[in-house]
Amino acid sequence: MTYIISMFVPAVFAILGLAIIFRVPVNRIPACVVVGALGWLTYLVADHYLSSPVMGCFFGACMVGLCSAEASRIFKEAMTIFVIPGILCLVPGAKIFYTMEALIRNDIEDMAEIGVQTLMMAGAIAMGLLVMGALIKVFRALVSKTVTVKDKL
Amino acid sequence: MEKKRQKEILMLAIRAGNIMMKSGAEIYRVEDTIERICKSCGIDYVNVFATPTGIFVSTDNEEASNTVTYIKRVKSSETDLTKISRVNAFSRSFTTTDMTVEEGMKILDDIADSKPYPFWIRAISAAVVAACFSLVFGGAAADFAVTLPVGFMCYILSRFLEKYEINFFIRGFCCCALAAFCALVASASFGAVSYVPVITGCIMLFVPGVAITNSIRDFLSGNMLSGVARLAEACIIGVSLAAGAGVIIEIWYMIGGVSL
Repeated sequence: MTYIISMFVPAVFAILGLAIIFRVPVNRIPACVVVGALGWLTYLVADHYLSSPVMGCFFGACMVGLCSAEASRIFKEAMTIFVIPGILCLVPGAKIFYTMEALIRNDIEDMAEIGVQTLMMAGAIAMGLLVMGALIKVFRALVSKTVTVKDKL
Repeated sequence: MEKKRQKEILMLAIRAGNIMMKSGAEIYRVEDTIERICKSCGIDYVNVFATPTGIFVSTDNEEASNTVTYIKRVKSSETDLTKISRVNAFSRSFTTTDMTVEEGMKILDDIADSKPYPFWIRAISAAVVAACFSLVFGGAAADFAVTLPVGFMCYILSRFLEKYEINFFIRGFCCCALAAFCALVASASFGAVSYVPVITGCIMLFVPGVAITNSIRDFLSGNMLSGVARLAEACIIGVSLAAGAGVIIEIWYMIGGVSL
């Protein structure tokens, strides 16, 4: 638990900073930080209990996708504004470095292992966003359909 | 509709699309915005093909059969989410109210000229981002303290290189090389500092998160060409970051600095 908190608090400040660097409109920064924080929390919990950073990235990206779709609907904004700062935490920046470090140490086995994990984490982020995007589309189509059916009844 | 009028509308739509594309919007949004603006002014036939480096629009009119086609080369610049948000709001109000094309052009000029947050605020945020990520990647308080100025310097270097239109590969390479050099010097001078969290924290400032996200969303909306282009961009940036840090560490090791 302390581990999760110690990882969570700095990340929230990092998301805030990223929101400023990418110039999120001032009145949308709080929502943006909340979306990013929820995504990162999901990553931490999934990573901690499933002990798999790849699954963590997948669920984290799903969470970011879901929350930012909701946020963009509530605030009538482009979804990109909430997705970009939120997803950046999940990008395996450290893993990129460890891959390179293993290469310098001439440890090809290590490099291949970490490198594949890096690619899989990046792929998991992509999959998370894709799956969530598709699910939201289907869900909204279903909701609007049920509404029209009700109206007819 | 006169040909001149049709061209004016097209220029407005292209302008809006260009601002969005430059600021890092996804293809679907750019194409949709251009199409909506043109259709709301009574152009019957609009076809848009947008890629991250160029926008192609062709419009046709049934009554006069004027075909006007325009190609706009897009030079990408900094990600600016406020511009995307504002152009989005503009296109909504333009299509629903009876705003004239001249008024619309004025608003777009205003959006294009709007400045990002002041430089020092962005540089301090960059320092905080790098330092916080160094904590996330297992750094201690000493690493946090070192990463703050290093992140600050890296961000300033990246803006400096961007000002002189150095391409993104060299930019990522140089910034990470600077981060690695500072981290190694710091870890050699202060025993409490380890260089790994410092470098990884700084790398997080330059990871291609925008490219990855946009590439996925382009694929999702069926724009394969730009999806592949942005995916390639993300990979190249990743390689450049790793190479920048790697080269410096290798050299440091070779000239007999503190061993890894």
